[in-house]
Amino acid sequence: MRWLEAPLVPLAGATALGIATSAWIATPAWSLLCAGALALGLTSLALALGATRLATAGLLLLAVLLGVVRAISDPLPADHIARVAFGPRVSVEGRLAEEPVRWSADRTRLLIDLDGLRDGLDLRTVSGRIQVTLYGETPPVGEGQRVALDLKLSPPRAFKNPGAFDYPAFLRREGILLVGSGRADSLVALTADDPPWPVWVKRWAVSTTAGHLPATSAALLGGLLLGEKTGLPPEASEAFRRAGVYHILAVSGFNVALLASSVFFVLSTLGVPRRVTAVVAGAALVGFALVVGGQASVLRATVMGLLLLGALLLDRESQLMNALALAVLLLLAWRPGDLGEPGFQLSFAATAGIIHLAPPLTSWLIGKRWPGWLAAPMAVSLGAQAAVTPVMLVHFNQLSLIGIVANLVVVPMAAVGTTLGMLALLTAAVSAWAADVLFQALWPLLLALRAAVWVAARVPGAMVHLPAPSWAAIAAWCVALALLPYLGSRRWIRATVMVSLALVLGLSIWPWVAPDNGRLRVTFLDVGQGDAILVELPEGQRLLVDGGPGGNQRLDVGERVLAPFLWNRPTQRLDVVALTHPDSDHSGGLRAVLTRFGVREFWENGRWITGTEETLRAVERSGACRRTLVAGQRLWLGSALLTVLNPDGSRPLDDPPPEGQNEESLVLRLDWRGFSLLLTGDLGGPGEERLLADHAPVRALALKVGHHGSRYSSTGAFLDAVEPAVAIISVGARNSFGHPTPEVLGRLEAAGARIYRTDRDGAVILETDGITLSITRWASGTVERLDLDPERGA
Amino acid sequence: MGYPRPQLTLLLLLAAIALTGLGVREWRAGFPVAAERLDRFDREDPPPPIPPVPRPRALPRWSPARVEAAAPPRPAPRERAREAKPAAPAPADPRPLDLNHASVEQIARLPGVGPSLARRIVDERERVGRFDSPDRLRGILGLGPKKLAALREHVTVGE
Repeated sequence: MRWLEAPLVPLAGATALGIATSAWIATPAWSLLCAGALALGLTSLALALGATRLATAGLLLLAVLLGVVRAISDPLPADHIARVAFGPRVSVEGRLAEEPVRWSADRTRLLIDLDGLRDGLDLRTVSGRIQVTLYGETPPVGEGQRVALDLKLSPPRAFKNPGAFDYPAFLRREGILLVGSGRADSLVALTADDPPWPVWVKRWAVSTTAGHLPATSAALLGGLLLGEKTGLPPEASEAFRRAGVYHILAVSGFNVALLASSVFFVLSTLGVPRRVTAVVAGAALVGFALVVGGQASVLRATVMGLLLLGALLLDRESQLMNALALAVLLLLAWRPGDLGEPGFQLSFAATAGIIHLAPPLTSWLIGKRWPGWLAAPMAVSLGAQAAVTPVMLVHFNQLSLIGIVANLVVVPMAAVGTTLGMLALLTAAVSAWAADVLFQALWPLLLALRAAVWVAARVPGAMVHLPAPSWAAIAAWCVALALLPYLGSRRWIRATVMVSLALVLGLSIWPWVAPDNGRLRVTFLDVGQGDAILVELPEGQRLLVDGGPGGNQRLDVGERVLAPFLWNRPTQRLDVVALTHPDSDHSGGLRAVLTRFGVREFWENGRWITGTEETLRAVERSGACRRTLVAGQRLWLGSALLTVLNPDGSRPLDDPPPEGQNEESLVLRLDWRGFSLLLTGDLGGPGEERLLADHAPVRALALKVGHHGSRYSSTGAFLDAVEPAVAIISVGARNSFGHPTPEVLGRLEAAGARIYRTDRDGAVILETDGITLSITRWASGTVERLDLDPERGA
Repeated sequence: MGYPRPQLTLLLLLAAIALTGLGVREWRAGFPVAAERLDRFDREDPPPPIPPVPRPRALPRWSPARVEAAAPPRPAPRERAREAKPAAPAPADPRPLDLNHASVEQIARLPGVGPSLARRIVDERERVGRFDSPDRLRGILGLGPKKLAALREHVTVGE
């Protein structure tokens, strides 16, 4: 591509670079502005002297600086809620910024633009947007409505683990600095539900489809037409992801193109002049964008669609890549934070990939004697897939292999379905009967689409999970893709592409072939209130003890924390998953782990309780060999010896445990060279007493403190017997149980243990070669070292 | 004479859509259950519930049959608990009843089970397919741990 064809591409790239680097730039805005003025002066000078190359470089530098200045957040206004002091529980008033999202029957998410904070009797004026999770049945409220509610407000907290998603940063980009939670019955609507017309249209469309079609098909049509995905059951959206066709559920250029071409088709059949048609189509696009909302993909597609229509109106030739670059510039100028969003990156990467790679790929495929009707869609599919692969790997560790083929089948079906669906909705405004006939004709098509997706998702190896690529690998991949269309023209281009691809391959394969470092590593993951511990042996065996909280009622740690953490490591296999006891803060996240990873053995204490059905079913389906452990068993895992200390098997499994589930926790002792670790699950005082009475070998270097530091665990006598040098408490910040209690912290200190807490330190990583032990607090990055060799004196 | 080709194509397409729509509409009205089931083909049924474990505030109660079967001597409090229990009523039939094949009437003849509880047991059996242990009865309304313990020696589960 020549410079003049798409002059905006370098400019958009420079602005994006500026926004991306702004996070590391601490200089105040005025000095940046001075630098910008200097750059402007020098560029003008260069231009006056006729040095256009230098002037171009100066201009791009200016664009980078402007990007940085745009991205540096403005200081908060004085009445912003994040700058106002308040107690732990507050009453607030504000306006709903969007329609409530109902995650489940009794969990709803609201975005509220605050205007008042009630402090005692007087109402203070505040500003700022907050995100609120309400528990219980939320009364029907809608966008634009003013509400009052009682909340607990706090800054959002991320789980601090290696490679974890930075949730607070994500919210900050959305302009949200505080999150709240409260009970749904405290919500009071202050004004009537009188939504703006786009919201009204969207609600009407959703309820109309739901009235004519069965639930799941209606949810799919909602996704196709409006990008409304909340109604889709999780297993269906999972199938769309696995098949690599999830993008058809988001509103994108696909919908915009269909809408514009439908308008064109109808109006030109009626003999309306071309320019009028372009204006009407433009109005339809803007209206559609208002209805479906302001996601990056919608805005991108609308901006590009309007540009193309404008070109038609002015009888100019349109250049797609340039239109894309202009869309980048406009969007980033409006919302610079979007640059970090997966949706933004996916939308722009896919479009750029199609524009840049599809034409040369098509001619290449036709050269290989592919028929034209197959070559063009295949090239589009390949181009988009190649461009989004790094984005998908960085954010989701996913690579859908079946996607290239599945898109060939699913996209045409989705196109027909979307067109017919729009037609049916328009008809519904006139006649319910005619609309019903159209919806019923649409239903078999939706079923066929779902069946195609279902089959594609079932193909073994449909989707693979890989560690996130390094920056070097991504850069090399981009270079290779950018140069790909010019492969035949020059020899140096061919060489550069080959070298880049070799670099990508080498960097991606390295983690698998890298020699192990002969160290045992134990990671106590930060999963909030709950336990999840990964033991990795130098020989490669891996043991996961407990899976953190999960289930439908709350954030599923298995999906959000454990799966990404495990995907970012080279092996996708777990030799053993052990569940100490079935409480949901230990078993909840295991469902995701057992369904997503190959598990060889599942160790349990043999007891299951109401609420763990999903986990139990996942265990049964995983094909893992199940072992119910009792005290006295010894199991080798690589070169480590695991000893079971509890339960002792004296209480029958089909009867409720007399002292509660916690006292039946699996207690595992791990010995490896000079290192020993005691994992006690949620064992409490009675269980500890029993271990001491049985003279169980409890003395250990490191102790996972029982029951998250509850006062009824870790008795003085038990700690005297364990003599831990290192104590790790796996506990959630601000948990409602008050864990860890000051009593336990005092007892641990008295026992001489160094205390590590996942709520403050993030993930705690113990790494040892048998001679020294290094302990990393992930949140602060500090590393402490302990000498294990008795000869050298600890 | 006749329509030009593009118009013919379009009209035929519209007719085909209308015909399909009317056909599907008719079929959905005739077989609503089958249509609902077809629409759920890729959905998963929720897993069978694990019966709730009663909170062990008091000591667990042991059924007489289990105490006799258990070899190790029980500690004293459990002995007392057993003595405090009323003796199980004499069984109507010496052979244990196969819960997976028994009728409502047969189950209703078991000690402590009336017709309505028997109905609920059979409903539960139909819901879960078959019982793989008498313990699966736990959680049925009206069948507490005490009654279940008394029932155990009178019932069995067959294939």
